[in-house]
Amino acid sequence: MHGDTGGTLTIDAPGSDGEREFKVPYITRVEGEGTLSLTVRGGEVVDARLKIFEAPRYFERLVVGRTGDEVLDIVARICGICPIAYQMSAVHAFEDLYGIHIDPQVRALRRILYCGEWIQSHALHVYLLHAPDFLGYPSALAMAADHREIVEQGLAIKKVGNQLISAIGGRPVHPVSVRVGGFSRAPRKADLEGVRKALDAAVEQARATVRLVATWTPPELSHPQPLVAMRHPGEYPFNEGRIVSTDGLDIAPQAWGTQFEELHVEGTNALHARTLAGEVYLLGPTARIALTAQALHPLAFEALAETGLRDAIRVNIHRSIVARAVELLHACAEARDLIDGYRPPAEPRVAFTPRPGIAAWSTEAPRGLLHHRYEVDERGHVVHAQIVPPTSQNQGAIEADLAAFAPSVLDLPHAEATHQLEMLIRAYDPCISCATHFLDLRIVDAGRGEGNG
Amino acid sequence: MTHLAPPSVRLLVCGNADRGDDGAALSAVATLLPSLPTALLERLEVRRCGHLRVEDLTDIPANEIAVVVDAAVGIPPGHVVALAISAIAADPAAPTPRSSHELPIDQVLGLAGVLRPGGLPEGTFIGIGGRRFGYGRPLSRSVRLNMAAFQQAIAAELGRLTHVSPEGPAASG
Repeated sequence: MHGDTGGTLTIDAPGSDGEREFKVPYITRVEGEGTLSLTVRGGEVVDARLKIFEAPRYFERLVVGRTGDEVLDIVARICGICPIAYQMSAVHAFEDLYGIHIDPQVRALRRILYCGEWIQSHALHVYLLHAPDFLGYPSALAMAADHREIVEQGLAIKKVGNQLISAIGGRPVHPVSVRVGGFSRAPRKADLEGVRKALDAAVEQARATVRLVATWTPPELSHPQPLVAMRHPGEYPFNEGRIVSTDGLDIAPQAWGTQFEELHVEGTNALHARTLAGEVYLLGPTARIALTAQALHPLAFEALAETGLRDAIRVNIHRSIVARAVELLHACAEARDLIDGYRPPAEPRVAFTPRPGIAAWSTEAPRGLLHHRYEVDERGHVVHAQIVPPTSQNQGAIEADLAAFAPSVLDLPHAEATHQLEMLIRAYDPCISCATHFLDLRIVDAGRGEGNG
Repeated sequence: MTHLAPPSVRLLVCGNADRGDDGAALSAVATLLPSLPTALLERLEVRRCGHLRVEDLTDIPANEIAVVVDAAVGIPPGHVVALAISAIAADPAAPTPRSSHELPIDQVLGLAGVLRPGGLPEGTFIGIGGRRFGYGRPLSRSVRLNMAAFQQAIAAELGRLTHVSPEGPAASG
């Protein structure tokens, strides 16, 4: 491993005196491009690198000179799947700096909006990207021939998420209504009636999803990693709470930079994140379930308990599909409750006066904690920005899991080894998982040359 | 005497205006629509898709035809192609829409074909070859120079499918 504590493991691999190099060529994707390189020498994993090239590095320059409202529209373009997460971290950062107190109904709307994003993102991953791994299909398309009902259920739940985002955000992709101080427009109660009805079915479908994925047998892995997530005393974390960890960390959402740092890693444009002590850590559904399950919606908490897998989720990333399904149920159930209690605010947006300083905040994106930090001048214009997406933070944990998991697959036939490594990476739901066949594995063996997988 | 209504057409406009040539379809349709006659527009339902999703296709009713407009990869920059949607699904080597993200385009079309009653919707993909798709980039010269041909291809296909000449009086208001 390169400078982290991911762990180099010695394995018993008969006849593997030569070096085996697992390489994955770059893929061309819209939001994420990645490559995997895994080198095994003498039965020992000596190097595991997941290189991801993320767009946010460019956005950090694009937002310089912009006002808070302009930043919200720009950062939404960072990702087509989780634009709301980028808007939420940014808007809370500016509102914290400007001392803005939003209307409670605006706060509720933002949670509903975030629920919509979690629903569509989690449904996409659980049903269309991850499920084929467990059911033995190369893709959702191949799976649909035998399990049409699973795909249809996934698309139905995902559609509800899109409807929520459209109803509040103005459109399903790159929503436009979020503003510093509130929303440009708050929906009427009647605007949410259609999606409210759809949520009744979605809650039941999500509950069935938890039961279903809990029956799927994952590859064996027992590799606990330090976990980091937001935690709020009264609710499952979306926009507020404190950053906590399994190592006892407990800091304010503005204070990410006091305990973590980004590092340039040779050979990749992406920045990795580590604790200041140099440790890798894991974000996302696994971390949230481990650290704040007690704040789940009662329906989701009950469903998690019924699986009996809470501890297994903690140590085997392959079980993240269960954590994600539980959160899918949580988001459906909470959105339903919030809509039932919704009353349009008197004003969708409160007035504010910009002030200079540091605007920083963290929220929980579907893939984990997303931190934004902006230096703002006296006119309210950004002079410097730092955006730390969850996929970048998870890279070290992915590599550490690869090092821990790879020895168990090296003796398998090449195609099966490839599938198992792919599956491990997909379990993290990184942006690159959008490419369902990104592992075109090549093995370089010193004695036999190169072969394609 | 009862006249059968001409088929309705769902125009799915894909792309992201912030990403160079990925915004070609949005640009083309935005400037084309005001010039189309009201009779044609009345038979159109225009949806902005961003990236094409399975739901965009499965939501199309049985009596509607789809026209998917997007920048394309697999053809030279600036070249305009019009292909049956079914042809893209059937031929992995066919030019493909650029704006698929959640799933690869073959998965999107394949799933829509499996899940939609009646299979993949009838219709046409109209694409223009893109050169660059980076954030903050303007349309490439290749795309700009061929934007008129792109718009003409879209207008001609809409006219053919709606049975209304796109050359009629432009919509007002």
